[in-house]
Amino acid sequence: MSRLDVSGVKKIYTTRLGSNRVEALRNVSFSVEQGEYVAIMGESGSGKTTLLNILAALDEPTAGRVVLDGQELSKVKEKDRAAFRRDNLGFVFQEFNLLDTFTLEDNIYLPLVLAGKPYKEMKTRLQPIAAQLGISELLKKYPYEVSGGQKQRAAVARAIITNPKLVLADEPTGALDSKGTDELLRLFSGIHKEGRTILMVTHSVKAASHASRVLFIKDGEVFHQIYRGDNTSEQLYQKISDTLTMLATGGERG
Amino acid sequence: MKLSFYPRLAWEGIRKNKRLYLPYLLTCMGMVAIHYIILFLSEMPALDRMPGSGTVGSALGMSGRIIALFAVFFLFYSHSFLMRYRKKEFGLYNILGMGKGNISKLLFWETCIITVVSLGIGLVLGVVLSKLFELGLVNMMAGQIDYEWTVFPDTMAVTAMIFTGIFLLLFFHSLCQISFSHPIELLRSENRGEKPPKANWLIGLAGVILLIIAYSIALTVESLVTAITLFFVAVALVMVATYLLFGAGSVMLCRLLQKNKRYYYQPNHFVSVSSMVYRMNRNGAGLASICILLTMVLVMLSSTASLYIGLEDVILTRCPKDINIELQMQDIKYLDNEILDRFRDRVSRILDENQVQMEAVIEYQVGNTDGILLNGSFSQDEEAMQNFNFNTASTAVLLYLVPLADYNRVMDENMTLKEGEVLIYPFCTEYTASTFQMNGGRIYQVKDVVEDWIDNRNSAMTIIPTIFVFVEDLEAFTAPDRGQNNSQEDTELRFEWIYAFDLDTSAQEQMNICHQLEQTDWMRGLEDSTIIYAGEVDGQEDERIEFYYMFGGLFYIGILLSIVFLAATVLIIYYKQIAEGYEDQKRFELMQKVGMSRRDIRRSIHSQMLTIFFLPLLMSGIHLCFAFPVIRKILLVFNLQSTGLLIATTVGCFFVFGILYTLVYKLTANVYVSIVSGVEGQ
Repeated sequence: MSRLDVSGVKKIYTTRLGSNRVEALRNVSFSVEQGEYVAIMGESGSGKTTLLNILAALDEPTAGRVVLDGQELSKVKEKDRAAFRRDNLGFVFQEFNLLDTFTLEDNIYLPLVLAGKPYKEMKTRLQPIAAQLGISELLKKYPYEVSGGQKQRAAVARAIITNPKLVLADEPTGALDSKGTDELLRLFSGIHKEGRTILMVTHSVKAASHASRVLFIKDGEVFHQIYRGDNTSEQLYQKISDTLTMLATGGERG
Repeated sequence: MKLSFYPRLAWEGIRKNKRLYLPYLLTCMGMVAIHYIILFLSEMPALDRMPGSGTVGSALGMSGRIIALFAVFFLFYSHSFLMRYRKKEFGLYNILGMGKGNISKLLFWETCIITVVSLGIGLVLGVVLSKLFELGLVNMMAGQIDYEWTVFPDTMAVTAMIFTGIFLLLFFHSLCQISFSHPIELLRSENRGEKPPKANWLIGLAGVILLIIAYSIALTVESLVTAITLFFVAVALVMVATYLLFGAGSVMLCRLLQKNKRYYYQPNHFVSVSSMVYRMNRNGAGLASICILLTMVLVMLSSTASLYIGLEDVILTRCPKDINIELQMQDIKYLDNEILDRFRDRVSRILDENQVQMEAVIEYQVGNTDGILLNGSFSQDEEAMQNFNFNTASTAVLLYLVPLADYNRVMDENMTLKEGEVLIYPFCTEYTASTFQMNGGRIYQVKDVVEDWIDNRNSAMTIIPTIFVFVEDLEAFTAPDRGQNNSQEDTELRFEWIYAFDLDTSAQEQMNICHQLEQTDWMRGLEDSTIIYAGEVDGQEDERIEFYYMFGGLFYIGILLSIVFLAATVLIIYYKQIAEGYEDQKRFELMQKVGMSRRDIRRSIHSQMLTIFFLPLLMSGIHLCFAFPVIRKILLVFNLQSTGLLIATTVGCFFVFGILYTLVYKLTANVYVSIVSGVEGQ
């Protein structure tokens, strides 16, 4: 069984009077295996963010179903959703979304605190993660005191400290400079090697080229996908670029 | 077209920011209206018709100035809140190509619109409501109501001028703010990240120390004279301490809580404690203002209400009988039954003419003077008087010497004194010594300190402690101290005859008789001037009217100012909730993504708001408790002696406030939740 199974997902937004219907997702089906690192690419307005919101149980699909580790998302009751997200999903956002009222340490603890974990356990969990992400020295600092790359690493720590079944990343490199981007992608590859399952939505060819598989979405559908296979990142980069060019120039489905 | 562009833009700006501008406009209008009303009340013709209402008039005039001053501060506060949100818009205009000159024009028109609208509607409101407030005041003062409609154009002009001035000040203030800032800064001013505050131990500690000093001053004040002077010192200290505590002290507390890992890392405390650190730092001043306003209103209301409710007690203290006659004799030898009979006869003659009977007659002789009392030794020598200062004020006393026979008759007792013994009745003070000595003379043994004695007009009207000494023979007792000089100096013993009685007739008739007694020749000093030094007649009914004028007026002013301050409090709270709502929107949105359920969020909002909301109320309650002894002493000046009444009124006021406050909390909490969840739902 796959870690994540998305089948026939459709999302239609209607305006309040119902006169205007916008089809954000037409028919999306794919699955992600345990330990896979999947990148989803697509232009603005292709439905990436909608898809991510549905995967995060923040939004409900109009049709189709999403199954995470055997649990169908739409079957999770509204009041249990927050706990479900907390226990099963880790989030990394483009804008880091760290709370400026907390130190980096407290920001990382947030999901664990919400889950009611004792301080001792949180601390033992944090130590190896902080060391791995290279932020052990920064834990007592506040978000406004550290660089973007450091903020994003803290956000990654927050995403994985709960040992989630799936890490969802929304344009994680979008607000980083090239140095920060390289570092973050290296970290993502690192945590992928540890056996974590990652789903990343991105614009960036470079970010996508680190994934083990790249899905392309266009007009609300999965249009194409590329497996890394034995390719190096550079080779994959080339392939993705070609695909994007083809998509942009309106080539036929490959 | 060009002419109407700026006004239109300004109007649109106001209209689009309804949620911010509507309360602001209402504040302005309300301030204008209440300012006009208070000035109107201080000048209204009805006041002139009430004798002794000058106090109320001048208190109203002063309230007018207080309101004007308060308006400056409060409108600045509200306006700075508005500007915080408008700056973003101005930044956008600036980037789109509007120069700072254009923005100034826009601001100018905005100021014009606000001035015209708030003065126009505010003054109309003021004129319309002024009659209502006048009726309320006259009614409370138990005066004559008339239904004539009066408008004072002069007063309107004064109000208009004051507020135009305030708006101009605000205009220049915002001009300064705009011209000194960069467009990008303007754009971001709304959500500029702020450093988490460091706990400032020094300031917090200073706050605690100041508060302790202020409280101990309030608690240890002994005498009434010192109470009034020190009260203002204590009030100033409490105000400063409150600001320090809400600013630094609360941050300190939160930091301590954060240090306690087991407490801090719990779902309920985690979010609220950490955001409270921010809240307290930024809104400390707002919270402290709320706390101080609440305390002020509570003190004002509870004391004036106590006076008004306890009015009858006060009147009975000052004027125990319907008619109270006090004759001060030229010499003790005229305190003689034969001479006194002449006056008794004259009084009965007047009563007979009016066909009324006197009842419950109280009559006694008294010799009085004042000096310094120290360990049972009463002294009037120059040295003792000069060494007198406020710290030893508790030993400055009025001394009343009353024959034991009069005590026994008035109190219906049968006490006897052996040679060399006296009875003591202390009033507003305590008597602990076992002897009594006057000006270094004979030492008398105090046989007993009696529990009760009738109220005495003179002692009741002063705030100086009074000692009544009941002696076997007044003439013998005072012999050594009499006749040293004949001038009527303060230290001289004065001998008086007190003659008080009730009348079995209506209030109107009582006042008539009182005035007839006042007009007698012997009372006006036209006759018997060798016997009578001075005389005074006080009628309870006259006193009652005067006190209704005064206490009713004061209570009314108390209510009026309370309404203004309360409205201000509500507005501060409202602004705070809006500000925090906008701030928290993103935070809660994010928390939801990280795995906080809506219920968790609601619970966290609730616990946070509850703490922040009720902290000022709690603090003002504590302030009130410590202020209580001082208030009680000050009210004694007004002869309000019932502590029970004051406690009941204060607790009642606090309770009513608690309910009102909770209502405001519920209403504004809804605004907050709707702002926070506005984005949540998208």
